[in-house]
Amino acid sequence: MNGKNLEREKTGPMAPTDNELMEQVRDGKVEKLAILFERHQTMLFNFFLRLTGNRAASEDLVQEVFIRILKYRAGYQGDSRFVVWMFQIARNAHVDFLRKRKGELALDDQFVEAPSREPRPEERLEVDQEAALVRRALDRLPDKKKEILLLSRFQDLKLREIAELFDCQVGTVKVQVHRALKDLSRIYLELQEGKIP
Amino acid sequence: MNCEKTQERFADYLTGDLEDEARREVQDHIAACAACRAEIEDLTAMWARLGVLPAEQPSGALRHRFYAMLEDHKNEARGARKASRRSRVFSGWREWFSFRRPAFAASFSIFLLLLGTGAGWLVNGGSGRSARLSSLQQEVQDMRQTMAISLLGQPSASERLQGVSYGASVKSPSAKTLTALVNTLNSDPNPNVRLAAVEALYLFRNQPGVRESLLGSLAAQDSPLVQVALIDLLVEIREQRAAEALKALIKNEKLNPDVKKLAEQGIKQLI
Repeated sequence: MNGKNLEREKTGPMAPTDNELMEQVRDGKVEKLAILFERHQTMLFNFFLRLTGNRAASEDLVQEVFIRILKYRAGYQGDSRFVVWMFQIARNAHVDFLRKRKGELALDDQFVEAPSREPRPEERLEVDQEAALVRRALDRLPDKKKEILLLSRFQDLKLREIAELFDCQVGTVKVQVHRALKDLSRIYLELQEGKIP
Repeated sequence: MNCEKTQERFADYLTGDLEDEARREVQDHIAACAACRAEIEDLTAMWARLGVLPAEQPSGALRHRFYAMLEDHKNEARGARKASRRSRVFSGWREWFSFRRPAFAASFSIFLLLLGTGAGWLVNGGSGRSARLSSLQQEVQDMRQTMAISLLGQPSASERLQGVSYGASVKSPSAKTLTALVNTLNSDPNPNVRLAAVEALYLFRNQPGVRESLLGSLAAQDSPLVQVALIDLLVEIREQRAAEALKALIKNEKLNPDVKKLAEQGIKQLI
């Protein structure tokens, strides 16, 4: 099944698919980007939030992704599903974010301290101890493993699409998902038993 | 099927991507092999445990920033189109002057003649032309305001946001447009739309009645985000009467502590 049909299944027969909307954005109807934003902002925000653990940074990253979509719209081919292309951009934005943050270690503390003026939902989250433990375990996974695991678990992407995203064989992705989950499970148990701080 | 082949399929097994037959093969193997069974049980438990991470909502500021970015982009694109038209026209003229000199010299007298006629026309009819231009501009302004008012009444928040941005793009808004923006600020169900209305009204802070409406709205807001934006605005425009309104606001026990802190700072800055 190609990207378009798969998308049609999800959005219903009447609504334009993501791919159709992005083609319109590419061809000059940039206002259609608003529909894509409304469809994907929450999902993308949660992807970054699970990856970085920082709300403010995650919102910045979502905004950055849509700025880049607009900037690189002429290069959109529509060969695969729009979300695969979007996650390619999201991964690059995240890499740049990490690189920039490395250079600004001194500023980093400020950044984490003042994410927003609203009560921070991660505080509510921390009340849920299991979620906190899962998050701590995830933080100990290497970035690439964490990304692959999150993409396969939460983002509704096929393993084949993740392989496309990482430019590797689908077999490699399967091995990575398996290993990441195994490592995560081990780290989780060690944290739970207090073997590691 | 051996252990290695079974384990290769674990990722597909977890994501639900296995065909019925392959799934049965995996299940048959793990029923017979204790090691693989322990492994898949472990993986399945962790896979399920990841589900405790809640899906969170981004703040309204994200949506607001996105629409502002989109609007900027559209404005820039319009500006770039105009500039490129101008530069095409300009380069055409330069070519005319520098490379086709004989033709240029020959037509110089015609140019002078036209200049004279043009001057006469300007004296007589020029004012008419500029009047036409300004009436056209007025028409565009009126159209934007009509669009703004109509969009502000729409059920979709993104359309209302667009309505606010149309309203904000007007040079001197009519009382009707201002009322629509104030109503949006006070009673729109979506805090992002209200937030956008705060910014639009900031642009019109010198129009009659706007400051009073902003002051009055402070008590009506329940979203901390909008309260913060309003307080920032009132302090920035140095609205003296805001000190009283802020004092009344901090008496509210349900007020968000961050907003309270900001309001207290605001009072100090205003007094």
